[in-house]
Amino acid sequence: MSAIKPIPPVAIEKPKAKVWNGARAIAEAVKVADVDVIAAYPIRPYTGIMNSLASMIANGEFTADIIVADSEHSQFEVVKHASAVGARVFAGSSGVGLAFAAEPIIVTALSQLPVVAAIGTRALDDPGNFGMEWSDALMFRDFGWLISWAKTVQEAADMTLVAYRVAEDRRVLLPHFIALDGAAITHVATPVVPVTKQQATEFLPPYRPPYRIDPQDGPVTKAQHIAPSLIGPEQRKTIDVAQKRSKQVIAEAWKDFAKYTGREYPPFLETIGMEDAEFALIGMGAYMKDIELVASRLRSKGYKVGTVRLRYVRPFPAEELINALGGVKAAGVIEFGYSFGSPFGTGSLYHEVATSLYEADTKPTLLDFLFLGGREPTVEHFTQLAEKVIESAHKKPQKKTYWLTLRGEDI
Amino acid sequence: MSSQVAFKNIKEIPPVDYYTSGRRTCAGCGPAIGYRLISKAAGPNTIFIGPTGCMYVANAHQFLTSPYAVPWHHTQLGGGGAAAIGVASALRTLMLKGKRKLEDINVVVMGGDGAMADIGFSGLSMGLSYDYQRLLYIIYDNEAYMNTGVQASSTTPWGATTTFTPAGKVKPIGNTRLKKNMALVAAAHPKVKYVATATLWPPLDLMNKVHRALNAGGPTLIHVLLPCPKGWFTDPSATVDLSRLAVETGMWVLWESIEGQFKLNYKPKPRKHVREYLAPQGRFSHLKDEDMEKIDKMIEEEWKFWEESAKLGRLVVPY
Ligand SMILES: Cc1ncc(C[n+]2csc(CCOP(=O)(O)OP(=O)(O)O)c2C)c(N)n1
Ligand code: SF4
Ligand SMILES: [Mg+2]
Repeated sequence: MSAIKPIPPVAIEKPKAKVWNGARAIAEAVKVADVDVIAAYPIRPYTGIMNSLASMIANGEFTADIIVADSEHSQFEVVKHASAVGARVFAGSSGVGLAFAAEPIIVTALSQLPVVAAIGTRALDDPGNFGMEWSDALMFRDFGWLISWAKTVQEAADMTLVAYRVAEDRRVLLPHFIALDGAAITHVATPVVPVTKQQATEFLPPYRPPYRIDPQDGPVTKAQHIAPSLIGPEQRKTIDVAQKRSKQVIAEAWKDFAKYTGREYPPFLETIGMEDAEFALIGMGAYMKDIELVASRLRSKGYKVGTVRLRYVRPFPAEELINALGGVKAAGVIEFGYSFGSPFGTGSLYHEVATSLYEADTKPTLLDFLFLGGREPTVEHFTQLAEKVIESAHKKPQKKTYWLTLRGEDI
Repeated sequence: MSSQVAFKNIKEIPPVDYYTSGRRTCAGCGPAIGYRLISKAAGPNTIFIGPTGCMYVANAHQFLTSPYAVPWHHTQLGGGGAAAIGVASALRTLMLKGKRKLEDINVVVMGGDGAMADIGFSGLSMGLSYDYQRLLYIIYDNEAYMNTGVQASSTTPWGATTTFTPAGKVKPIGNTRLKKNMALVAAAHPKVKYVATATLWPPLDLMNKVHRALNAGGPTLIHVLLPCPKGWFTDPSATVDLSRLAVETGMWVLWESIEGQFKLNYKPKPRKHVREYLAPQGRFSHLKDEDMEKIDKMIEEEWKFWEESAKLGRLVVPY
């Protein structure tokens, strides 16, 4: 760099792209984040992340302690307490593994410990099923965890760095899940531009918890049993406030991330073709790539179709969603998570979208499309459902919820 | 590894307490007396981990006071084993990476019998398989799930009545499972440096064992029998006497395994009949004489193995 030129705020390093699957890309991000303690337990499809980390540590690529736990319950207990002592930590799981660890996962958020964990989304048993569903991750919607959802391997890796930055921010101090659609992200190799060690160090300040469990910090008593009359609701309110504050912190973090890496992301919603859209397809995760393709094909046929992709489910970007959908006649939620017996038999994401839209001045017709049980949808399915959304704008739909079943008769 | 004695007589007990006032345990609570002695022996550079149970719930107070003068963190009922590994791993890694000053810090889990012998069994076993130093698992064994109102655990003795194993017309004995021996289980883990049993008697035995454990150079476990007036239906003033009777009747065997070397700490001579221990306890009041005889026989049989172990200097499994 020449000395006479004005020095830009940050000189963006441009490392060469690697071909990595999601598991490897996340592991590389954990490495440059200088994580101290990792706890592992095997379950598909997230396992590859831990395999990669274990071999990096074994080969001296970075220094961290990797605990081979006896269960997911122990796995999440290990990282929760390591975090309380002041270590930066990483864990992860999938499907029934998350269900097994529900107890420590929940208390981690309610204790405000900034654990970062990856979820390779997977169908819950029974019957055992390697397919992808969202119900494992969405189980933890309500307890204070921040939850982001990646569309690409690149985004998954980048989200990992941003997750540490947001989770550990003193205004937030909440744990963070990064959801990766099972197989579609975890196992698919694509070109990825790595975050360099230097970028990570500049972007991510060291983790300094306010009250460490460490004799150096004096006799801190943490998570003591309490009297509801004294601080019951007040303690819950701190989580609520932290979730609300996280919105600004997330926006700042992604802006800063672009400054250091040159990769820009809209913080909460990725919208394509929504400026003049009459029809919207709403979803998240890896299949949005196919859904965006379907929307652009329909556009070329003259239908004003746009897509809205949620990058975060917690905090849920309700205002952004209302704005994006203003002027839309009909919209469809495309999702992989169920909520049996729910209003109209709709899925978990639909509830979030519908609740947001209840506050909107104009409400589009809203349909729900459920892809359950792990069967992979195709571009053909997405095309059919988009046509249903278009049709619903002028012809009252027979029902709200459509399924992909054995013969595909519902869609 | 030593069998060193840190506290030779009562005068050598440090006056400072790290488990103090600000709690609401029952009068005569054995686990609370144990906590006080254990924390004295461990000293100020200690982190305590408290799985749910009486030593969590009853050690809190509705006015948010804390009895702990050292760092303390709650963990879930089944989380003791893993939580300690998280703490130990964080300390070691942060020191290794130069993120924290090098220092000896004790990590002590105070887990109940339910927490460690039942729901947290798997995590405890995981914890005992690692090599972190100054890591001590205490099982404070009051022989039931006391905080939830006296339900049987896998360390409840044969013949005790609990709310889940009440003695009744058709089931006159109460609990018919045999007490799980957690010290033996711990000793079966090859990385474990020190395993011991203890109770509140003889005085100083518990404190010296805590000291030995923390200096043993690896993961350690002490299984401590601690009477609970509420769940045992005993007089609050009888807690220490019952600890003594448990030892003198042979019902509770005091031993240590120091890097695999077995040491019998106390042999009652002559052994008192178990009736002396059982009779003052309401939880055994339904037992007939023949039931007490049966228990005494079981003790007699079991002691053959302890004596054999003492002779060989290594553990012989008694069951
Ligand atoms: C996962 C879970 N299950 C059940 C409980 C309810 N519970 C609270 S305290 C307790 C008793 C624990 O017994 P023990 O470990 O022997 O400790 P003690 O109460 O006897 O001191 C139980 C079962 C809980 N807190 N968490
Ligand atoms: S119930 Fe037993 S263990 Fe619990 S506080 Fe009372 S005496 Fe102590
Ligand atoms: Mg108990």
